[in-house]
Amino acid sequence: MSGEEYESDMDYTDSDCGDPGYDDYYNNQQWGSEADNDIDSEQNKKDPEYAIHECLKVEEVERLLNENVEELSNRLQITPSLAKVLLHAHEWALQDIILKYRNDASGLLVTSKIKSSHEPDSSIALRGARTGTCLVCVNTLSLERFAALTCGHTFCKDCWCMHFEVQIIQGISTGIGCMAQDCEVLVPEDFVLSLLTKLTMRERYQQFVFRDYVKSHPQLRFCPGPNCQIVVRSKELRAKKVICSSCKTPFCFRCGMDYHAPTDCGTIKKWLTKCADDSETANYICAHTKDCPKCHICIEKNGGCNHMQCYNCKHDFCWMCLGDWKAHGSEYYECSRYKENPNISRESVHAQAREALKKYLHYYERWENHSKSLKLEEQTLETIKSRIHKKVMHASGTWIDWQHLFEAASLLARCRYTLQYTYPYAYFMEAGPRKVLFEYQQAQLEAEIENLSWKIERAETTDRGDLENQKDIAEKRRVTLLKDFLEV
Amino acid sequence: MANIAAQRIKREFKEVIKSEEVAKCAIKVELVNDSFTELKGEIAGPPDTPYEGGNFVLEIKVPETYPFNPPKVRFITKIWHPNISSVTGAICLDILKDQWAAAMTLRTVLLSLQALLSAAEPDDPQDAVVAKQYKEQPEMFRQTAKHWTSVYAGGPAKMSDLDDKIRRLTDMGIEEHNARVALSSYNWDLERATEQLFMTVMAKN
Repeated sequence: MSGEEYESDMDYTDSDCGDPGYDDYYNNQQWGSEADNDIDSEQNKKDPEYAIHECLKVEEVERLLNENVEELSNRLQITPSLAKVLLHAHEWALQDIILKYRNDASGLLVTSKIKSSHEPDSSIALRGARTGTCLVCVNTLSLERFAALTCGHTFCKDCWCMHFEVQIIQGISTGIGCMAQDCEVLVPEDFVLSLLTKLTMRERYQQFVFRDYVKSHPQLRFCPGPNCQIVVRSKELRAKKVICSSCKTPFCFRCGMDYHAPTDCGTIKKWLTKCADDSETANYICAHTKDCPKCHICIEKNGGCNHMQCYNCKHDFCWMCLGDWKAHGSEYYECSRYKENPNISRESVHAQAREALKKYLHYYERWENHSKSLKLEEQTLETIKSRIHKKVMHASGTWIDWQHLFEAASLLARCRYTLQYTYPYAYFMEAGPRKVLFEYQQAQLEAEIENLSWKIERAETTDRGDLENQKDIAEKRRVTLLKDFLEV
Repeated sequence: MANIAAQRIKREFKEVIKSEEVAKCAIKVELVNDSFTELKGEIAGPPDTPYEGGNFVLEIKVPETYPFNPPKVRFITKIWHPNISSVTGAICLDILKDQWAAAMTLRTVLLSLQALLSAAEPDDPQDAVVAKQYKEQPEMFRQTAKHWTSVYAGGPAKMSDLDDKIRRLTDMGIEEHNARVALSSYNWDLERATEQLFMTVMAKN
């Protein structure tokens, strides 16, 4: 899709201009009237942090997913339910699945846990021709009260239902497996829904399934805005900025957190955890939890065993080194060893700790300062409004003549935001010529931003030449810094 | 739900009692209360292992959602094994976690635990100290495990050299079990064990 289409998706009404809300004011890059849209989209293309994206409602996402499901089920002649299992297991890479299916259909079904790698066997103890005993509840029932998966494992419908409920309560949906011992087969959606009786459970299951599908789809991400139902779709799978059209929350498409260029997703997470360090919760999280190295969900260690399995993506990894468990043969003890520098004497440890704290505070103060400044710009906006009002009343230019000040304020906020996020980046950067260059550019950006801020606050005439010039310089500094250091 | 749990446990209880393993005295279960929510299990140390001749008591707690969730099992008898905590008796075994399946039974659990005693998985350790010894000093591990079996699980072996080392420490006022843990953890190096024990005492003061 093109940038123009994207523009038409976003509705920028004039009412946005009158809204003093900080979020709106900053987030709408297209601050002027709609006539500016073409120019703005041109600017977007030049902006290194801009990603083409669209905001979808739940129904639209369902439609999108269903189109994929339908196509796959038609192409491979399988039920939509199985098509969903395949798509979920392979990150919705339709063509890839079809190719693999043509090469080795049976192998694909086994690795996707649709088919058992063993011959189908029955787990039912037959009692005569019409009844059997369910091995889970040990009740003897008539045969029509039993149901089996493709693996042949047969249990009574009540037990299946109970199994599903227990799993759903634990938040498991697409990952529900067969009840038989050593059976890897996953229970497809239609089987679950045909046996799940309680309406509330069915609803929860469908919600969880939808959540899993969106999470497994590389082009989709839930908007992190509170109570926002929007799913953002972008074909650029990078750490770039997207903005929810409904709640206006801007966020990083890759990690779903507050947008953070030029800092990368991992670094900003480290930084924010560090900043929150004074609270007990953060201390606990640091000491007892780690992120799954595969799906990055936060995991709490609740046992002594270092072989961890992520409850979300089932990835097996080592708690000590976060490496893949499979590769963990003889190296295990390497990762449990604390590699300390033997040259450090007790005294210099204290000195180093002090030095480290000093360094951290240096960056933290600046980070915090720009964050506060950003909030203060909200007040500036109010001041600008009243100033314009006064000027217009005194016949010093028309309202339209002064509109450029709003644009300038919006640009200022954008620059300050980037500047704020340069501090975590610098904090974690290794010393060297690249850091020198970065800090040089950072200083340049900071200087121009303060110039701009100064000029906006003191704009007394409608002569906008100087201000336009300053806007251009500041934005150029920002873009240059991002182009050089934003690695997405 | 609880209904199915009780029904299943009653049935499994009978199954274990009638099984051929009970006849061979390899596994055993006993009821702890009338509601079938807690049981006591027992497994015999498998032959040709350092656990041979020992009897290991297990605590088995049956959750309300059994058999859809696994039973909670831990060793009551102290044991020296890479996958079992020497402190708490907690067990690292996949079928007691995510590999549990509703069709499994107490009998399969007890037999799996017995199999775990014959075939430890040091790459999946619960007790890192034990696992390290198991991998780096297999003979030392065997001796230690045998010693623990004889002391805590009624095993036959008497190892006078190890007992002597423990006595040296108890003579210094160290509690016997603590002395055993320290010596076991430091490959029966008396000097290092002593150092470690007295370091902790000092730290406590």
